Amino acid sequence: MIRSFIVTFIKEILTFLRIPLLVLAVLYFFTLDVYIAGAGIAVKPRNVTIGYVDYTGGGVSQKILSHFHTPEFKKPKAFLNERNLRKAIFNKDIMVGIIFDREFAKNYAQGKKATINVLLDSTAAAQSFITLSYLQNIILEFQKLHLPVELKTHKLFNQNADTHMFISLAELLSVITLLSVILTAMVFVKEKEDGTWDLMLLMPVDAKIIILAKSLSQVVINLIGTIISVGFVILWAFDTPMNGSFWAFVLLSFFYILSSAGIGLFIAAVARDIMQVAQLAILIMMPIIFLSGAWTPIYAMHPILQKLSLFSPLRYYIEGAESIFFRGTSFVDLWPYFAGVMLLGILLYYYGFKKIGKLF
Amino acid sequence: MRFRTIYAYMRKEFIELVRTKLIYLVYLVPTMILLLFGYGIRLEVTHARVLLIDNDASKLSAELIGKFEHSKYFAPTLSQVSEQKALRLMKQAKIDAIVIIPSSFEKRLLHGQKSEMGIFVDGSFPMRALTIQSYIEGTILKAAQDIGAKMGLKPKIAINQRTLFNQAMRDEDAIVPGLIGLVLLIAPALLSTLLIVKEKEKGTIFNFYASPLSKSEFLAAKLIPVFLLHSVTIFLLFILALYIFEVPFRGSFFLYWVASELYVLISLSIGLLISIITKRQIVAVVLTVIVTVIPGFLYSGILMPISSMKGESYIEAHLFPVMYYNHIIYDTFLIGQGFASQKNILYLAILVGFFLLYFLVGTLLLKKEMR
Repeated sequence: MIRSFIVTFIKEILTFLRIPLLVLAVLYFFTLDVYIAGAGIAVKPRNVTIGYVDYTGGGVSQKILSHFHTPEFKKPKAFLNERNLRKAIFNKDIMVGIIFDREFAKNYAQGKKATINVLLDSTAAAQSFITLSYLQNIILEFQKLHLPVELKTHKLFNQNADTHMFISLAELLSVITLLSVILTAMVFVKEKEDGTWDLMLLMPVDAKIIILAKSLSQVVINLIGTIISVGFVILWAFDTPMNGSFWAFVLLSFFYILSSAGIGLFIAAVARDIMQVAQLAILIMMPIIFLSGAWTPIYAMHPILQKLSLFSPLRYYIEGAESIFFRGTSFVDLWPYFAGVMLLGILLYYYGFKKIGKLF
Repeated sequence: MRFRTIYAYMRKEFIELVRTKLIYLVYLVPTMILLLFGYGIRLEVTHARVLLIDNDASKLSAELIGKFEHSKYFAPTLSQVSEQKALRLMKQAKIDAIVIIPSSFEKRLLHGQKSEMGIFVDGSFPMRALTIQSYIEGTILKAAQDIGAKMGLKPKIAINQRTLFNQAMRDEDAIVPGLIGLVLLIAPALLSTLLIVKEKEKGTIFNFYASPLSKSEFLAAKLIPVFLLHSVTIFLLFILALYIFEVPFRGSFFLYWVASELYVLISLSIGLLISIITKRQIVAVVLTVIVTVIPGFLYSGILMPISSMKGESYIEAHLFPVMYYNHIIYDTFLIGQGFASQKNILYLAILVGFFLLYFLVGTLLLKKEMR
């Protein structure tokens, strides 16, 4: 029994290693892909492009403009008239347009109410919303209105709201989901397609052992990939602080990968060829990713979706991982995440195992 | 080109596609992606869990707390816990932010003295942290301005803002058109990537090697059925965007249609190219996901406007077709300049270039012989 388990296990690992392009692709996902995502996306106002038309001839208007600087804004670009500015906004070269009309300087000097016209491209709703609040703050500050309250804001666990660490971790979690589902499903479906599945049915080895060895080999491959990714990209390249326990993260990952492998087994039982695996994998994974709270906080979702999100293993994994990495939550307080991932992991794996076992 | 041969081969391909019973996935996957992402991505945060610690318990602090309670952005809790305990709650991910109103807050304010208010935001999800921070600061500043106005401080500069293209600042309007660019990149590529590599792995490719079918006839027979299937997707996505998500359509439908068909061709030829260079289906699937999903998200302008990119990412964005297509799509949906915009015409031409490039490279690499 144990021997046939080990033999099948090693055979699967070797099969994986014998496809160099596949090994490369998996390595790419766990390293470069996570790195590119972390380095490339910043979902916060950065380098916002500003264009302006100044009919006042300088003075106050230029002083206001001098407050817009990097890294949030690119240097404001001057336009000759409103038409050109509008054209630039319509072509998406400029996101925010500021117009100082002739009355502006006069009114300001006379102490009357002066108006600045602002045009916002709100297709990037998030960026323009935050840009507008920056703008209001700049003007508020510029007027030196002495507000009696001073706000001291601190962002805990991630002082600069640095998105590299966050996005790279979020990307890694998606990669783990994607690969553990697809790789596990492929291992079985390939045999179905090749017809070697039927050969296995004739073998005197217990089918359960084969399923166990085949799926666990993929779990181990993914777990190793995860450790490589955390070590090289997240901790080394992005210098993410590890406020919690590394081994808690590995354990959490193991159970999460097990739950994805369970989904993979289910897909393998249903799908006939690799095209169906690819389609089904996307179809099943999308809801799991979207109910996980990575994109929308769970409490901001529709009540029905909030209930459904309880069934997304990624929900527990992502919040548990965030807690371990950033919040440095103590082991005792991590139990809800472990409970969720373990319960769903074992249930999903058991279900997939049963489902594919019926094919024998 | 012998059209009868192509037709016969095409029929065979089409029947094969239909026989894999999951053919409905061709439409289900795009629909699911659009619905889930469209409903799923909310950059606006509502019901943020803010813990208010009121050490003052005065009329002014109650007024301030009222501002939090009456906002849809917050689901505040009022509590007298110690800062230590509050921090633990945050570590357990039970609250997103803590606002501490200092003691003798009202007294100092009425005497015109400055008082400091502490705000602590959980930075684990940076974008969410920034959004919540700007909501909290905005709420307090607004309250302070109201109080300031009562005390005779009037602002001299007013901002008159006009939001273009998406006046209501709806997330749907901003995201759904971009999603069409994502869906039409992933779905056709995923379908076409297996077309040739599948035959290679199964060995049925020898039928083609041995048959008198020419390379171009083979490719046409392979691609036309998939192309026709996805031409329907273009309309499906359009209807979903318009009627489910109620995204306005202000531009030229003809432009939307032409650009989309062209874009499907590009996506198909990406899949085809991968299908030709790989030997195994699993590698083809994984590779396709890499080259479509990542640029589809990163360089599409959905999450980050192209004009805000810098350095490498700005250059990389220009190397993928998705940015050009999305520009046209946002134009047809929200802006409505259509063919009058030179940039649209230029980008359409660039898309034609992408298609020709991928397709030519693919055809050149496809060999009609044993390897």
